[in-house]
Amino acid sequence: MRTHSRATSWALLSPWVVAFALFGLYPFAFSFWASVTDYSPLRAQAKFVGLSNYARALADPAFWTALGNTAFFVVGTIPFTTALALGLALAVQPVFRGRTIFRAGFFVPSVVSVVVLSLIFKGLYASDGAINGLLLAMGLRGPDWLLDPHAALPAIMAMDVWSASGYYMIIFLAGLEAIPRELHEAARLEGASGWDRFLRITLPLLRPTLLFVLVVNTVRSLQIFAEVFVMTRGGPLHSTTTVVYYLYEQAFYRFDLGYASAVAYLLFLLTLGIAWLQARVVGSEEPLR
Amino acid sequence: MSAPGASARRWLWLGPLLATMLFPFAWMAAISLAPVSNLSVGRAFTGGVSLQHYQALFHTAAVSRYLVNSSVVAVIVVAMNVATAAMVGYVLARRRIPGEKLWTLGIVATLMLPRQVLMIPLYLVLARLHLLDTYAALILPFAVDAFSIFLVRQYVTGIPLELEEAARVDGASDWTVFRRVVLPLLRPVLAVVAIQSFLTNWNSFLFPLIFVDSDRLRTLPVGLALLSQTEHSVDWGFLMAGSTVASIPVLAVFLVFQRQILSGLLAGAEK
Repeated sequence: MRTHSRATSWALLSPWVVAFALFGLYPFAFSFWASVTDYSPLRAQAKFVGLSNYARALADPAFWTALGNTAFFVVGTIPFTTALALGLALAVQPVFRGRTIFRAGFFVPSVVSVVVLSLIFKGLYASDGAINGLLLAMGLRGPDWLLDPHAALPAIMAMDVWSASGYYMIIFLAGLEAIPRELHEAARLEGASGWDRFLRITLPLLRPTLLFVLVVNTVRSLQIFAEVFVMTRGGPLHSTTTVVYYLYEQAFYRFDLGYASAVAYLLFLLTLGIAWLQARVVGSEEPLR
Repeated sequence: MSAPGASARRWLWLGPLLATMLFPFAWMAAISLAPVSNLSVGRAFTGGVSLQHYQALFHTAAVSRYLVNSSVVAVIVVAMNVATAAMVGYVLARRRIPGEKLWTLGIVATLMLPRQVLMIPLYLVLARLHLLDTYAALILPFAVDAFSIFLVRQYVTGIPLELEEAARVDGASDWTVFRRVVLPLLRPVLAVVAIQSFLTNWNSFLFPLIFVDSDRLRTLPVGLALLSQTEHSVDWGFLMAGSTVASIPVLAVFLVFQRQILSGLLAGAEK
């Protein structure tokens, strides 16, 4: 059955076609071109330079520092965020009075601007801020968190775990709700403990959700920028420079757009690669133990 | 309903946990209302209430401007997003277009692609179109959103065709069918689209930061971030008042539309 004419279809589709071409495909192709030239708006003519921008990135210690910081960020936050999110989801899943308050409350950090969250934590982390005040009350002396090259990145990571877990809690809740209750009832009748049921029923059936959370959170974590911009500007001593912050500096301070495009492409390939790898590892059919 | 005892036990440990997680926001509000501008937590919570930081905030001409910019941009982006998502999502769901699969694939690919990868190319494209440092740079690239389209497409797939067919038998034109029959049915999903797109746009930081250079075009998050690094770097009362102002719209929207927000999120998780 025909629902509408071809002309109407195209008319309705046109915003997407234009936007996708102009703000999707064209920039994507253009940035590849830029990445193999020495393009810069400060220069009249761009010269083809082959893969030398890519080679330059791979030879630049600052790029590797940024990559290392980003990797540390990903590896150091995702297990905690995932565990906290899953724990919260399990805690607020059963029916109890006021659970909506908790579901919504834990989600609140996810709706507030990252700039605001970063400003708040910049204050909390200050040398005379609330966190050091709390430590002092316990007889400990905290560092000047964001000015200490060893503490700054972990401090930003801790904030990220705090701010992101409510979001993934909601995703886990959706996964938990999809697990048939009968399975748990049956296992309980067989005498399985809560821990057994979690390992044998909840976790295996939650695998697609777990995969989704891991992939989405990794992709997001590879793009960390606003926190760094607001709290540390990549410092001290580049200890918090992430790949996207590095990209930003190369592109908008040094206006080296050809080079920055190459870095962006490397980040893109890295993102795809990691997402694929996680899909293979977590998505494999082998049962979890 | 479970026994009240079980509820109470859950509250006993979840309550303090939630309070801890929300403490930073209480701190923000307390500092913004404190009569002094230092970081002392004790004094912030006990030293009385004053609106002096809010007065200072709105006497800073730039901040009112940022607030207006954020509002104008958010309203326009949300409106354009809702309109385009309804149109495109509807067509894609009804599969009457050559290469429909390809278009849907393009949308899914766009969803997967981290936007930051496009920040430089997008900047270059806007430069070529002479749109850098204009309101258009804050609006046009975000007027059509893949996720919104995807939500509408999924929703339309669940609507039976009969209604549209009946209207057509009665002699209604394509446009009338879309406007009179389809659009009213899409209201719930368009509400989700509007809310999601408001939250994303209001909080957006990276793109407004790089696409706009003039102070008079800055949005609130960008303006706050830059003020925090220049003349107001240790003026915590001022910064927290600004942060509170930037948070109130999203918190209000969240409180009112909680259900739609969480359901939109779950629809996304199922893709």
